[in-house]
Amino acid sequence: MAGLWRYILRRLLFVIPVFLAVTLLTFLITNAAGDPVQIVKFAIRRITPAQVAALEAYYHTNEPIFARYFYWLFSFLQGDLGTSLRGGLVASKILPWIGTTLELQFLALAFSLAIGIPLGVYSALKQYSKADVVISSIAIFGYSMPTFWLGIQAIIVFSLYLKWLPFGGAISPYPPYWGGSIYTDIIGHLILPVGVLTFVSLATFTRLLRASIVEVLRQDFILAARASGLRERVVVYKHALKNAISPIVTITGLSIGLSLAGAPITETVFSWPGLGYAYVQAVNALDLPVVQDLTAIITIVVLLVTILTDISYAYLDPRVRLE
Amino acid sequence: METSNKKLAKKRRSASQLAVVWRRFRRNKAAIAGLVLVGFVVFMAVFGSFFAPFPPRSFPCLYKGCTSLPPFQDWSHPLGTEPSGIDVYSEILQSARNDLYVGLAATLISVAIGLGIGVASGYSSGVSGALLLGITQVFLVLPVLVLILLFSRILVLLVAQGFGLTIIVLILGIFGWPGIAYITRGETLRLKEAEFIQATKALGASKSRILFRHIMPNILSPVIVIATLTVAANILTEAAISFLGFGDPNTSTWGQMLNDGFSWLNYWWISFFPGIMIVFSTLGFNLLGDGLSEALNPRLKE
Repeated sequence: MAGLWRYILRRLLFVIPVFLAVTLLTFLITNAAGDPVQIVKFAIRRITPAQVAALEAYYHTNEPIFARYFYWLFSFLQGDLGTSLRGGLVASKILPWIGTTLELQFLALAFSLAIGIPLGVYSALKQYSKADVVISSIAIFGYSMPTFWLGIQAIIVFSLYLKWLPFGGAISPYPPYWGGSIYTDIIGHLILPVGVLTFVSLATFTRLLRASIVEVLRQDFILAARASGLRERVVVYKHALKNAISPIVTITGLSIGLSLAGAPITETVFSWPGLGYAYVQAVNALDLPVVQDLTAIITIVVLLVTILTDISYAYLDPRVRLE
Repeated sequence: METSNKKLAKKRRSASQLAVVWRRFRRNKAAIAGLVLVGFVVFMAVFGSFFAPFPPRSFPCLYKGCTSLPPFQDWSHPLGTEPSGIDVYSEILQSARNDLYVGLAATLISVAIGLGIGVASGYSSGVSGALLLGITQVFLVLPVLVLILLFSRILVLLVAQGFGLTIIVLILGIFGWPGIAYITRGETLRLKEAEFIQATKALGASKSRILFRHIMPNILSPVIVIATLTVAANILTEAAISFLGFGDPNTSTWGQMLNDGFSWLNYWWISFFPGIMIVFSTLGFNLLGDGLSEALNPRLKE
């Protein structure tokens, strides 16, 4: 147990240099486009010299870039996320973004695991059967398909031509609501993005699990389990699945981490007001403070989820020793 | 006499090895489908601009009253036109070269970096090996897509026009190597302790000879497989960058067309056809990679 804690501590210590490196790199690259004051001056031509001076004092633009990085770092660590160049405090915007992103991503993840695991098991057991060929083909299609393209096609078909579903945003800004009430409206807005995200990650899960189970079923202990007269169901679900599940755990962990980053592109397609969409908008508008803060937050979350994934990996597979 | 015999034996053996791989590959229908798709895309990339009726990023329909034309109606614009006057069919053909270029060139950079770092960190056991492993692990956990988007947006903005695609190639290449390095490192660690390497060492082979003549050829097959899959991933990521409008707007790519199509959702053909081409090429490289990984895997018996 002490080993586990030491492992966690060491991994957490590993987070610090990575975090510093990523944020410094982001800071340098965003400032390569111009410092915040230049960007504001570019956007607002009729800015007064007094306002420019105030902005320069606020962003410390007269000081060297590394000093400015440390100003940012200290205020970030104190929880002060600064002001968006498009107006408003960054901190007040980020929480709702995280909420909507989580709503979308967890639904999609739950659906793709609930459908993907049985499909992968079935496909592996009936290897090379017709059903397996169909499942595997759909899976590799989903795996090769650009999410955003699928999203655009889904919007064109279901929203524009068939007019079945609403699109854009997480909720209609004003009545009429889809399905009559505000709750059905929320569900209506979820169907397309959740459907598209589920299809794409479903494909990854099915493919991985199939390959992993096929590999495990070849091993001697499965033969031994069968030879000792266990029912096929027990052999598959208790012995094979437990040994085949670790790559799924890894990929789930990684995809949770990355989806907390918000699938930036999927969210943009559906104008989903989450972290990823906000990030794309900020990058596009060169809203440097928002880009800087979002990159920092996304990096921390992804790193922490990776650590959790590794720990659960060791928990599920006792052969893995955390060192 | 003896040398010529040796040469002959060597030749025959290498040919038969390739033949074994090809025989296994050929039996896999999905792999053949992948090869056909990749061949189709390569053909388009090479000859596309000869068949394309209009230059890239040109507006043949502007001021001629044939903008926003649906597909399959006017055969001088078989796949329709955009509201801006771009001809969809011609633009798809002109874009193929750029898309394939990004996919292949970025992969080449990633393979070069990944192979170098992977082999070095696997083979050297000292501080440098640990340092290289550390760098690889850092890159593996980064939110890469987020950084790629940011870098593309800002660097494409900053560099001179016309170099946007090269910048994207460099960014994709530089962020794409960690997976390759990780696999290469694992294989190198395994091979380092293998008996034939120990024997080569005992015979007094130099370090570079061991690395280049004995280790590199043996890790080639997993690298070929992951490189093929990386090409597909790179084509997808480039499409995403251009789709978001972070690419070079003056360069024809399929992603750029998706960007056009996203602003004109009512004209479905603008995004539909280039998207199909993206699916074809990524599907092709993915199937090819899967097929190669089965065909090159010596553990899977005939």
